[in-house]
Amino acid sequence: MVQTYLEKTSMVDVEKRIAIELRGVKKHFYDSDENVIQVIKDITLDIKEKEFISIVGPSGCGKSTMFNIIAGLMEPSEGNVKVHGESIGSSTGHVGYMMQKDLLFPWRTILDNVSLGLEVKGIAKKEREDIALEYLAKYGLADFAKAYPATLSGGMRQRVALIRTLAIDPDIILLDEPFSALDYQTRLVLEEEILGILRDFGKTAVLITHDIGEAIAMSDRIAVMTQRPTSVKKIYDVGLAKRLGSGMKARADQRYNEFFENIWADLDIQIGRSS
Amino acid sequence: MEMIQVENVTKQKIRKVKRKSTPILFINLCRLGIILGLLAVWELAVRFQMINPFLMGSPSGIWEESVRLVQSGQLFTDMFATVYGTIFGFVLGSLLGSIIGLLLWYSKTFANIIDPFVVALNGLPKIALAPMIIIWFGSGMFSKIALASIATFIVALLSAYQGTHQIDSNLINLMKSLGATKGQIFKKVVIPSSLPWIISAFRLNIGFALIAVIGGEFISSDKGLGRMIFVAGNLFNLNVVWVGVLTLMAVAIILYVGVSKMESRLIPWEASNKQREN
Repeated sequence: MVQTYLEKTSMVDVEKRIAIELRGVKKHFYDSDENVIQVIKDITLDIKEKEFISIVGPSGCGKSTMFNIIAGLMEPSEGNVKVHGESIGSSTGHVGYMMQKDLLFPWRTILDNVSLGLEVKGIAKKEREDIALEYLAKYGLADFAKAYPATLSGGMRQRVALIRTLAIDPDIILLDEPFSALDYQTRLVLEEEILGILRDFGKTAVLITHDIGEAIAMSDRIAVMTQRPTSVKKIYDVGLAKRLGSGMKARADQRYNEFFENIWADLDIQIGRSS
Repeated sequence: MEMIQVENVTKQKIRKVKRKSTPILFINLCRLGIILGLLAVWELAVRFQMINPFLMGSPSGIWEESVRLVQSGQLFTDMFATVYGTIFGFVLGSLLGSIIGLLLWYSKTFANIIDPFVVALNGLPKIALAPMIIIWFGSGMFSKIALASIATFIVALLSAYQGTHQIDSNLINLMKSLGATKGQIFKKVVIPSSLPWIISAFRLNIGFALIAVIGGEFISSDKGLGRMIFVAGNLFNLNVVWVGVLTLMAVAIILYVGVSKMESRLIPWEASNKQREN
């Protein structure tokens, strides 16, 4: 896996095919008095294949709604979402996701949790367990195959959740604040691990977060969102992690601070004002 | 490796806790002492004619009656009839109720339609149905089973249905994103995540089933511990009443322990949760 600087940068630039296409996506809800609450004003965004894009916005801006729409769990009120050119409804299985809550099934062992997606797809027991074990072994969790999630630490559970996502081999991985329940050290380690995995498997990743630092450390691009009703305010080309080889190096880079200041200014978060 | 270490640590902790608390042997001796003390006081009070054994019974009289009832086999016949009716009714009512309660997850509309009926039936003390059941089905085993089933059915249904409402919707969304069918979601999420609720209803239900059976036996029955207690009570044979009550107590304990054991079998992940909390 030794790559020159040029090869790495070319990896960033070469992939121009579009993985997810959001066109004029709007979303509104109705409250109990039938008033319209507009959550997403208008989002048009192309997420390129194999890129790592972060969606950063002030809290409550509608990031989770966006997540639900991209994951195919919610229909947009207007506009459309295409995954690899196909409408989202028919594309279940292409998008794997990971949330702040690990969503491991407490009644399933780690092995059975990891093989869940394969089980749903109807793959035979022997085969799916072999696949799951292979992944678990790869990430140092083979000893816990027969354990129940309750016996694992938060970081390990989140790692299992990631492996479960990978086991179904989705082209696109959606990450919805997957680290925010973890302590800082574990978070840094997992960030690094995920970057490594995404690189190895060549996945497209969408990270939804309010953590500006995390977004800069991991992303190729960052889409900064406005307050609710939200839309894309600005897109930054970052690519520090890919160029420098790790999220840690990205955090130590001079440009990290510049991005941070700019994005912070864009978010226009007013301290003391409840949003 | 780490897992084994963790287990060792927990075990050590438990041992330490145990060492600090009073030894179980001592506690059990105290309990035995209380029982023997009470029996001795009772017996002495009878011997010295401080209480009337005709109204209270006496330990020695209870013992004599127990020996007689065991030797004649009458006690076992009655006990068997009660236990049999309780277990069958419990299993039938609880299973049927749980299954229907779970299936209600499939259709909100249907659940909505039957909701008031369930509430009405739940509020009714089921023993009130005993006279009718006995008129329809006679004073044999079938009536006992029917009563216990009815008494447990609604509790199981409500509990299972409530269980399906407590499911983390994120888990269902996850299944949807994996392309799961409704049947798969039912089997892999709805049933297992409702199981703790269903099992907790089982623990209540074993008691309800016993109450229903004994109540039915009080009203009319050819055998059973309830009938034994009721008949002996009418004859002022207090010693036999005591034998019946004590046997019933033993039966209740055994049934309850049995259901608790079933719990750890059916939901092993809860056991590992508890272990972690320790």
